[in-house]
Amino acid sequence: MARIVILGAGISGHTAALHLQRQLKNKHEIVVVSPNSNWNWIPSNIWVGVGKMSKSQVTFPLAPIYRRKHIDFRQAKAVAIHPEGDASESKGFVDIVYTDPTKTGEEATLTYDFLIVATGPKLNFAATPGLGPEGNSWSVCTANHAEQSAAALEGIIDALKRGERKTLVIGVGHGTCTCEGAAFEYTFNVEHELRERGVRDLADVVYLSNEYDLGDLGVGGMIFAQNGFETSSKLWTESLFRERGVRAILRAHVEQVDPGVIHYEELDGSRHTLDFDFAMLLPPFRGVEMKAYAKNGDDITDELFAPNGFLRVDADYASKPYDEWAPEDWPKTYQCPRYDNVFGVGIAFAPPHAISEPRKSPNGTVISPAPPRTGMPSGVMGRTVALSIVERLRHGDQAKLHTASMADMGAACIASAGTGLRQGSAAAITMFPIIPDRRRFPGSGRDLKETSGEIGLSGHWTKLLLHYLFIYKAKARWGWFLIPE
Amino acid sequence: MESMSEVDRNIAEAPLPTKGTLRRRKSLGYQMTRFVAFNFRMLKMVTRAHH
Ligand SMILES: Cc1cc2nc3c(=O)[nH]c(=O)nc-3n(C[C@H](O)[C@H](O)[C@H](O)COP(=O)(O)OP(=O)(O)OC[C@H]3O[C@@H](n4cnc5c(N)ncnc54)[C@H](O)[C@@H]3O)c2cc1C
Repeated sequence: MARIVILGAGISGHTAALHLQRQLKNKHEIVVVSPNSNWNWIPSNIWVGVGKMSKSQVTFPLAPIYRRKHIDFRQAKAVAIHPEGDASESKGFVDIVYTDPTKTGEEATLTYDFLIVATGPKLNFAATPGLGPEGNSWSVCTANHAEQSAAALEGIIDALKRGERKTLVIGVGHGTCTCEGAAFEYTFNVEHELRERGVRDLADVVYLSNEYDLGDLGVGGMIFAQNGFETSSKLWTESLFRERGVRAILRAHVEQVDPGVIHYEELDGSRHTLDFDFAMLLPPFRGVEMKAYAKNGDDITDELFAPNGFLRVDADYASKPYDEWAPEDWPKTYQCPRYDNVFGVGIAFAPPHAISEPRKSPNGTVISPAPPRTGMPSGVMGRTVALSIVERLRHGDQAKLHTASMADMGAACIASAGTGLRQGSAAAITMFPIIPDRRRFPGSGRDLKETSGEIGLSGHWTKLLLHYLFIYKAKARWGWFLIPE
Repeated sequence: MESMSEVDRNIAEAPLPTKGTLRRRKSLGYQMTRFVAFNFRMLKMVTRAHH
């Protein structure tokens, strides 16, 4: 009997765990290690952040699901990987520290035959002084953060009702952030909420981002075919900003957040301040803090993980200029090059480079988005690696691994722009492939037939449908596997 | 007065949706057809992503 250990129970890790269990039944042991007792459908945190959903609507406890599925769940965080074992243990193992309230702080080790690292991002608020809920701005990255944002927003709405003018700044809190799509969504949900509550006229809503142009979204922007013309996501997004009266500050790196004042640098090197009454700024991401050790105890963290803390997999990490970036740089199997029984999926794998063109200010500050790894590709990677491990267990080390390169994968992104079954709205985008391929698709690098954007009520319905479908799937209810990632 | 930034200018010059477009974005009948079309497109995309 082999043991498969999965670190992380987010979109990618939980998907991998459920597929492994379905394929392997109880013939092998599946262990999931995650510090949070709850699963969170993160995309709907946006709606928690405007008070339209409660925390309990976007989270549920993992333990009962894993009990039902005979998956061993350890509420703990992984702190180190020993891929070669050590002097007394020949198998690879991980060091974990329990966060389970019944044994908080207890340490343990878990040996494995296969390891999936699906630990997602570390929310790196510390990169910008004053950033985050423990500083001077809010976040919607976790359900708790989103609840706090909703309460703060309510206070602002009360003040607006009293006739006070307020500035609301929403965006990203560092020049190297990713997830601009989430900041975009929160901007338009807040704007929608202010209109619904009849206080929009006294509010100045500002979107603050590291993108070079609106509509970049960390994927270098897109070209859509619309009404017989090729339209850019830039023009399309600018139109929405004009329609909804939202201001934008782009090409910005937030240097510091003081109470009520954001200090930022622009790509031209100039420095500015922006006063605010409410700010929701997403943090930059890095890999969670984990060490790695060789059999003799040598620290091999730098070999296993990239400098940004993400796990190195089968990508081409050679540094090259933007115009030499190629789709082949992106990983296909998510297998760790040095240890073929270790895989990294979702946000946890180290991307070879960005997707948007990299840019620096004259002061040397990097101001360009990191590549997003959204829910759909994360789920697909989780499933792909699960299937590869099943193959390996059935056919041995020579089994062919499954592949799912972001250069050969499309993505759908539904950016909510307001809730309500009749009044809701969303920008629904599809793109193929995620990584532009200018040899296959000269010009924009993406297939014009598969890359689209439209705004309307139906986008909101789709977003709501996905909320219910993915929570149903994550609860492993009847037929869950029929719902694609 | 402060001069307009490039971003502000781009937003100010972006095309606004016509009344017809705004109506279509909220029209239940039209949006139902868009809902089906978009979900079909999305499904095609995910099935293509599985190898
Ligand atoms: C506000 C917001 C809105 C978003 N909206 C969308 C959207 O609309 N559509 C979309 O496609 N994507 C969206 N995303 C992105 C999406 O949430 C991510 O792509 C997805 O969650 C990535 O999955 P993951 O499994 O890699 O990481 P996560 O889902 O973050 O899961 C990581 C897991 O690892 C666990 N973990 C952390 N540290 C350790 C450790 N040391 N040991 C063990 N486990 C650990 C965590 O507790 C968690 O269970 C959004 C993201 C944000 C922040």
